[in-house]
Amino acid sequence: MSATTRKSLHPGLNLGEEHGDDHLEAETSVFGFWVFMMSDLVTFGMFFIIFASTAPLACCPGPKELFDLGSVAWQTAFLLASSLTSGMAVLTLKQEHGSRNATTKNLVFWLLLTALLGCGFLYREISDFISMAAAGAPPTRSGYLTALWSLVGLHGLHVTGGIIWCLVIVAGVLVRGVDLRWKLALLRWSVFWHFLDVVWIAIFSFVFLGGLL
Amino acid sequence: MEKSKEFRHYLIGFALATVLTIIPFTLVATVGGKVSFFVLILCAILQLIVHLRFFLHLSFKGQQKEDLQLVLFTGLILVIMIGGSIWVLGDLYTRM
Repeated sequence: MSATTRKSLHPGLNLGEEHGDDHLEAETSVFGFWVFMMSDLVTFGMFFIIFASTAPLACCPGPKELFDLGSVAWQTAFLLASSLTSGMAVLTLKQEHGSRNATTKNLVFWLLLTALLGCGFLYREISDFISMAAAGAPPTRSGYLTALWSLVGLHGLHVTGGIIWCLVIVAGVLVRGVDLRWKLALLRWSVFWHFLDVVWIAIFSFVFLGGLL
Repeated sequence: MEKSKEFRHYLIGFALATVLTIIPFTLVATVGGKVSFFVLILCAILQLIVHLRFFLHLSFKGQQKEDLQLVLFTGLILVIMIGGSIWVLGDLYTRM
């Protein structure tokens, strides 16, 4: 069976046969990135275990004194919207392979919008961290706070990395055009970005909302 | 045709994810209590599935076997590790 007859070469959105050899090249690269992403999820799982094991001892200050539901809602909205716009970016890459200039323009638009939404998320998250520290809840205060800061902070670091990666792709696409290298980078980055939102679902559900209940 | 289908796919996913986000937030802000917690867990699991299906394009059909195995095996590892740890530590906690 030749590779081109198969519907999907790797998990996630495939470039499709219209992209010719680029589509085939994506198989190992994107599959490999999925393997990394899965191991990253296991890392997050470890942080969740630590958090879950300290959560029953959360007190003084605990979730009710520390969490701002409105701010968490904003962060969730920013990240969910950015998930959609990053999806639009890969969809642009996949579908508009005819005219190079139009593709680049649309791609850059969606990528910059995603990065902007990501920055909105980070801004809210960092302000929350600052106000938590000001309210006498730095990570050194209790085991629960250490776990909370590490888990949410690790996710924040991932988002920061994702934004930088996104901007690098924007620069690469503008300088070199949408060639194989940046196509593969974009496919992998979109997987990364979507998984950040998946991890955030678990964080806002169990850490923030679960904590407030 | 194919193009607008793929576009719609993302929008459906986004709409479902939005609804599944708004439900737990409103419940926590207004109702609270134990029932809300179960709804919260249910919404989180459903939203996880929505993201994997609509944004990450995973499905049981048209997917290569090893791709699904990779994701399902990681899910299994996570369930064993997280579930097991919470079980053991929860048991210790009740004995304290």
